[in-house]
Amino acid sequence: MNPAILIIMALAGAVATGVGPSRWAKWTAFFSTLAIFAVSLVFAVQFPEWRTGKYWPSVDDGSAMKAFGINLQMGGDSVNMLLLLLTTFMMPLTIAGSFSAITERVREYYGWFMLLEASILLAFLSQNLITFYVGYEFTLVPMFFLISIWGGQERRTAAIKFFLFTFLGSIFTLAAGIYVASRAADATGVWDFSIAALTKFGSEQLSEREQFWVFLGLMAGFAVKTPTFPVHTWLPWAHDQAPTGGSVVLAAVLLKLGTYGVYRIALPMAPAGGVATATFFGVLGILAIVVTAMICWVQTDVKKLIAYSSVSHMGFVIMGLFAFNPIGMQGAVMYMVSHGLSTGALFLCIGMMYERFHTKDMEQMSGLARHMPVWGCFMVLFTLASLGLPGLNGFVGEFLCLMGTFVAEHDQPAGYPGVMGPWFAVVAAVGLILGAMYLLIMIGKVVWGPLKVPGASADPHEHAHGDQGHGALSRDLNFREVAILLPIAAACLVTGLYPRMMLDVTEPSVREALISYPERVNQYNAERGKVNSSAKAKVAAITTTSTEAAR
Amino acid sequence: MMLPSLMLALNDAAAGHGSLADAVIPKAVAAPELRWAGWILLLPAISAVLCTLLAVLRTKSKLPALVTVLSLGTCFAMVLKLYLSRGPDAGPVVVHLWDWMNFSWGGGPWKSFQADISLYIDSLTMLWMLFVTGLGTLIAVYASEYMEGERGAGYCRFFFGVSIFLLAMSALVMADNLLLLYLGWEGVGLASYLLIGFYYQKPAAVAAGKKAFIMNRIGDLGLAIGIWLIWVNYGSIEFNTLFQAFGDAARGVGGWDRSLIPFCLMLGAFGKSAQLPLFTWLPDAMEGPTPVSALIHAATMVTAGVYLIARMQPLFTLHPDAMATVAWVGALTALLSATIGMAQYDIKRVFAYSTVSQLGYMFMGLGVGTAFGAAYHVFTHAFFKALLFLTAGAVMHGFAGQLDLRRLSGLRKVPGFGIVCWTMLVGCLWLSAFPYTAGFFSKDLILVQAMSQPRFQVLGWIGLITAAMTAYYTFRVWFRVCAGPVSYVPGEDAHAHDDHGDHGHDDHGHGAKGHDAHAGEFHPHAPRFAINGVLLLICLGAILAGIPGIQALRGQHNWVQEMVYHSSAVRASGVDHVTTPVAFGLDPHGVVSVFGISAAIGGILIALWLHLLDRRMADRIRTALLSNGLTRWLPTSMENKWYFDEIYHALFRLPMWITSHLLHFFDRHFIDGLLVNGIGRVPVMVGRLFQPLYNGALQGYATSMAGGLILVLAWVAWRWLGAGGVS
Repeated sequence: MNPAILIIMALAGAVATGVGPSRWAKWTAFFSTLAIFAVSLVFAVQFPEWRTGKYWPSVDDGSAMKAFGINLQMGGDSVNMLLLLLTTFMMPLTIAGSFSAITERVREYYGWFMLLEASILLAFLSQNLITFYVGYEFTLVPMFFLISIWGGQERRTAAIKFFLFTFLGSIFTLAAGIYVASRAADATGVWDFSIAALTKFGSEQLSEREQFWVFLGLMAGFAVKTPTFPVHTWLPWAHDQAPTGGSVVLAAVLLKLGTYGVYRIALPMAPAGGVATATFFGVLGILAIVVTAMICWVQTDVKKLIAYSSVSHMGFVIMGLFAFNPIGMQGAVMYMVSHGLSTGALFLCIGMMYERFHTKDMEQMSGLARHMPVWGCFMVLFTLASLGLPGLNGFVGEFLCLMGTFVAEHDQPAGYPGVMGPWFAVVAAVGLILGAMYLLIMIGKVVWGPLKVPGASADPHEHAHGDQGHGALSRDLNFREVAILLPIAAACLVTGLYPRMMLDVTEPSVREALISYPERVNQYNAERGKVNSSAKAKVAAITTTSTEAAR
Repeated sequence: MMLPSLMLALNDAAAGHGSLADAVIPKAVAAPELRWAGWILLLPAISAVLCTLLAVLRTKSKLPALVTVLSLGTCFAMVLKLYLSRGPDAGPVVVHLWDWMNFSWGGGPWKSFQADISLYIDSLTMLWMLFVTGLGTLIAVYASEYMEGERGAGYCRFFFGVSIFLLAMSALVMADNLLLLYLGWEGVGLASYLLIGFYYQKPAAVAAGKKAFIMNRIGDLGLAIGIWLIWVNYGSIEFNTLFQAFGDAARGVGGWDRSLIPFCLMLGAFGKSAQLPLFTWLPDAMEGPTPVSALIHAATMVTAGVYLIARMQPLFTLHPDAMATVAWVGALTALLSATIGMAQYDIKRVFAYSTVSQLGYMFMGLGVGTAFGAAYHVFTHAFFKALLFLTAGAVMHGFAGQLDLRRLSGLRKVPGFGIVCWTMLVGCLWLSAFPYTAGFFSKDLILVQAMSQPRFQVLGWIGLITAAMTAYYTFRVWFRVCAGPVSYVPGEDAHAHDDHGDHGHDDHGHGAKGHDAHAGEFHPHAPRFAINGVLLLICLGAILAGIPGIQALRGQHNWVQEMVYHSSAVRASGVDHVTTPVAFGLDPHGVVSVFGISAAIGGILIALWLHLLDRRMADRIRTALLSNGLTRWLPTSMENKWYFDEIYHALFRLPMWITSHLLHFFDRHFIDGLLVNGIGRVPVMVGRLFQPLYNGALQGYATSMAGGLILVLAWVAWRWLGAGGVS
């Protein structure tokens, strides 16, 4: 079975949605995404490489179409599979979440959505840099239209900013990728854009200087997409103005394209660059965590608050990735999935509230738990997941990312030396407190407190954007909305209580990604006079009894 | 003289274990046959799920209470069975239940990370579990009556919270690794948050819940860093492995990172157990329903910090400075909160500050090296403090939320409140360490231990002064509320006094309508069977908790001591005997006995004078102090808890708030405004050059994207051709 079938299904769904009658559009889209989810489940069950870290279908298979070394090779390892499942899982829920909110240009809306899914899947499944790039870039187009047609009042600014920002960044990514490919072509005489081949060439053959620039080039795009601290400003705009469905996909899946790129392409392809810039990106991660958390604290718009919190949360992922050890990196992969679930769900919740009250201003509402208790329960649950309560999904990734950073010292006995170290983690861990502060303030304003329902007559402008359907909505969540949130809640609990499932399958992939790091890091540290000899001394100092005790 | 010999007996019993005190903690054995103990975690979880289901089914019955009480009672029975099957001196066992965060990249220390949901059961665990599940069950019974005004969604929510709390607390106490402990740690914080904010329409309750959670998060940060440091230094976070590693480690050896570990853990403990500097959340937590105050904020959750340090004693004994810090923080907190407690008028707040103060004693006990004394004080305190809160709750329930001790008097003679008043008297006597009560035995253990060591003698004196204050403020409440002439003013709150049934859950919060209508004909709402029964049972428990003290008095071994000495707390009990006179020609035991008893009785007598015999005198003293410019600061700052909240606000919250606004401004107007929009103009300016090509921004970007792609591809093609040409 070729995973390309998923993309074909999504494209077929897009066509069917676009061609079919308007009143069927949402159902066509919903059932297509549901079918894609079903097929991806089958795919996941069949997937033979869960615990090996290998790619499937194998990269060496004959490819369908090949020119300039660009082929349509599809497949992935366990991390691809997890992100694929996250995408296909969130998509039907997002579409179902748009049923009542989108009443205008319905066919277009769902058509763009299906196209968006197709391009995301293309990016996550490509084993080839160029096809990855095409999928990665093409997500901009549907997203651009989703924001600029169905968005809020300042949707044009938001859409253009979103497009321009991410597009400008990824130009550098493409250039860096092509540079590596051209060097590889120089060396081997054959153009080959397969990610595996480029990674092998880049990490082994490129000089340190080249790797440095290649890494920065690759990161230019990925950092914007993630988003990392100084280049995050498009995200609050985009989230704030996007329709609910757009926000959900943006937070849950699109941001993961950036971190996935770092994980799969940037870090393995140019390890020397990764090592050399780890401190820099570590600082950016800290800034993202702390500064945006503080910005969250003074937000009055609940959707913007969650949008900024995304930036803060992705800071943890960056920290985990640049820890260069299995703890941090597995935490980062866990956190990508967790963040997709809990933040996506929070945006869904906020969308449901917005449909009823047409405001996202926290000053205008209070104590909604009394007005809509079921909604309040979900809101509290996902907030707790988001602030990293142990037992829910957010904690596992957050804790491991920070712990990975903490142990990323030059003399770690863990076998994976790093360049950051405890102080990075300690400062970043302040984000745990700040996260609790802004999220609980949000909950305290919106869910708890004396009841204050925003005036039912929202400004007429909002009605123009397809919200006339709100009269039909029940006071509290209806069956459809509960059915959307319940699976996500279950997923949050399961990943929180049995993360082993995911930790086990990502472990080989992470070790594969880190394969050239310990040596590079030691080399880098040695040049700065930090020798990893004490690690051995430390291990020796611990008497054998503790080793025995551990067994 | 009887009393000094009591203390000698206590210490002789300790000396009998002298060899044990330096013994290595036995290695835990895997005990798969005890897997059923996992039900102790599972049952509260099931009960939480059932409460949720009942809420969905919109039940108005007392079914949630029944479910919770049954599951907690079963838990207690299982803990009891576990205890009886093991006895007080059994070694530790590990029961693996469920894989959790667990992965490895080689195996062994530092090459794996193991944090499973598995249980480490030793005597310390059993001691805590016995009173946690026992009191949990009783308080759930009490709450079934106390909360009946909330029947409906609120009732379900309440018992959901209680179930979650018991689940998390059991996980915390029975955890076999620090991460599962952390899960329980944050889980009890969540339960506390949800239950403090139970009356979520009251802004004060919401704020108090938030404050509790965030203050605890500050402590949790310390705990998290401690966990990382432990992993970095010892390669594991499982207790079993760690205790062996601590045993191998030499005292005081290691780099800064190793010495920092106990201080990090301490921060966590101080946050959870409301010690300086993180104590301000606990008094505010009294916004929650009173059963919650009794269960979570007096008897069980707040002792988690003591548990953590007792559990990690093998680590703390490696760092004498850390032990001294614990002792000092405990003593200072005890003193400081006692001064605040003397000036509060809200009964629950008085008891809340007394909790902070008693927790201070426990930390002092840990710090000066008597884990037995600390654990015993936790045990006795759990009973008498739960009792005091529950009696306060009964008063609140009966008088429409009235808690001001100036507005209640002579309740002893109000029909139906007899049991409440007399059990409250027991609680007060125990709290003020009246001779031969359980509270007396446990407190004296700690003070003697402090007195016996020259460097901790100051702490012993601080403890004695605090004891006098404790007796005073405790009996200030009792003499005011229970004794004297009958007079009372009903409170404003209806939530505690809602026997009108038909209000349902829609009227919780602060609707005072139930009473405005017939304020003139207010009838106290006397507690019924569930409340009175629970009060009597806990009172009995408080009395029985003195038995180990009496056993020690007779020179017999007692089970609390056995349990502590057969757990990881064993390393703490290196007793430094000082028999030389400390003061007034008395040895430490003598000093503590004489001064301790005098402090208790003196405090009670002063309270008797100022708050029963001549109540106006107390007000006169206060007015005199206030009118004098030199002394005005004393009552005002005591009543305003030494302005800790204001200081924290000025030092932390306000600067942070300002910084946040500045950052937000910077983000919007500098990063986004200047840089981003500035760069954003570039393509537009470039676009102007190609104006005829397109109109409208979007097409522009699409064109430039396509153009860029074509350029890049052309370059690739050229390179490709070039490469082909070369080869």
